[in-house]
Amino acid sequence: MFQAFDNPGPDRPLRRAQWMALLARAPLGLLESALHEHATRPARWLRAPETGLMMVQGRAGGTGERFNLGEVTVTRCALRVADASDAAEATVGVAYVLGRSHRQVQLAALADALLQDPAQQPVLDAQLLEPIRTHLRNTQAERQARAASTKVDFFTVARESGTDNDEDTE
Amino acid sequence: MSMIPLASLGAGFSNEAIGSQAVFRAVLQALSHPGRTVAVEHDAQTPSAGHAASAAVLLALLDSDCTLWLSPRLAASDAGAWLRFHTGCTLVTDPAQARFVWVAQGDEWPALGSLASGTDIYPDQSATCVVDVLRATATTTDSEGAWHLRGPGIQEVAALQVEGLPDDFETHWAANHAVFPRGVDLLLATADHIVGLPRTARAARVVPALQEA
Repeated sequence: MFQAFDNPGPDRPLRRAQWMALLARAPLGLLESALHEHATRPARWLRAPETGLMMVQGRAGGTGERFNLGEVTVTRCALRVADASDAAEATVGVAYVLGRSHRQVQLAALADALLQDPAQQPVLDAQLLEPIRTHLRNTQAERQARAASTKVDFFTVARESGTDNDEDTE
Repeated sequence: MSMIPLASLGAGFSNEAIGSQAVFRAVLQALSHPGRTVAVEHDAQTPSAGHAASAAVLLALLDSDCTLWLSPRLAASDAGAWLRFHTGCTLVTDPAQARFVWVAQGDEWPALGSLASGTDIYPDQSATCVVDVLRATATTTDSEGAWHLRGPGIQEVAALQVEGLPDDFETHWAANHAVFPRGVDLLLATADHIVGLPRTARAARVVPALQEA
């Protein structure tokens, strides 16, 4: 789902937390098509993909007491990607995604490592992050449209006379 | 704690399950045969500070429920960050709260008596010390300056030549042995070998013969 914080804003720089949040929700197909030319970059696992459970907490109405909503399957990894110009320099990309797809988390970590290079950021922002934003926006619009079609309006029929209209009789 | 960039840390075992089981097996071997040197084979990219064997042992043994105390030289290096990243352990500044203790070669030992020694009901809740020493080799019983070890896991007596133990080790170790079943267990680590010294082992030093002037 598209969230309000996914909009970087007109002059605000793209922050790492923002693109990591986007990558975490990116579908595998989008990652594959945008990163196919980078997927061959020499890379080593710092932490190989591992799947585990994470407790998700919620608050009733967003303000109530915290409660445990349930556990979700999360796959995470850390990938050390060698720099294109200097082999000794390396960037570490980290990714956490829902589900158990190792390929998806690997590509998300690769994208995170590449995005940390300021030179590549604008290209990847256009090629990868923008399609993700569009995809998330469309998913949200679809869900809203589906929910809107089930909307029911309740009317309260005003009573002409009732038992508790004491105020009116006086 | 200062932030250490993730890019400077090395990788852990290339296969977590098999790598840590192989090292765990070496630790079992070392603790069941006190005084015997056991090779630690691993493929982890261990931190530059501290010995690789001790880093691999801690990488295999630690998990997120463990507390770890590092000696000053290790605490100043990236060893703590490396172990925290790969195992999720908690670093503590008070050695008495630690379940694992890692002392770098040449750093001062925390007093063995001040470490967690468990209780009579739960002797397993004690500290395990991994200590880096310059050299530790099994030797013959008649060699000078060797430690004579006796206890479970040793046929009669095992002789061990160690460089890097503090001078008052014998009294501290005797005190540690005396509080059995409580007490700490020790793993002496060289660059690629470990020697186990469980609390059940008694250690006595062969007094070097006086040099003729």
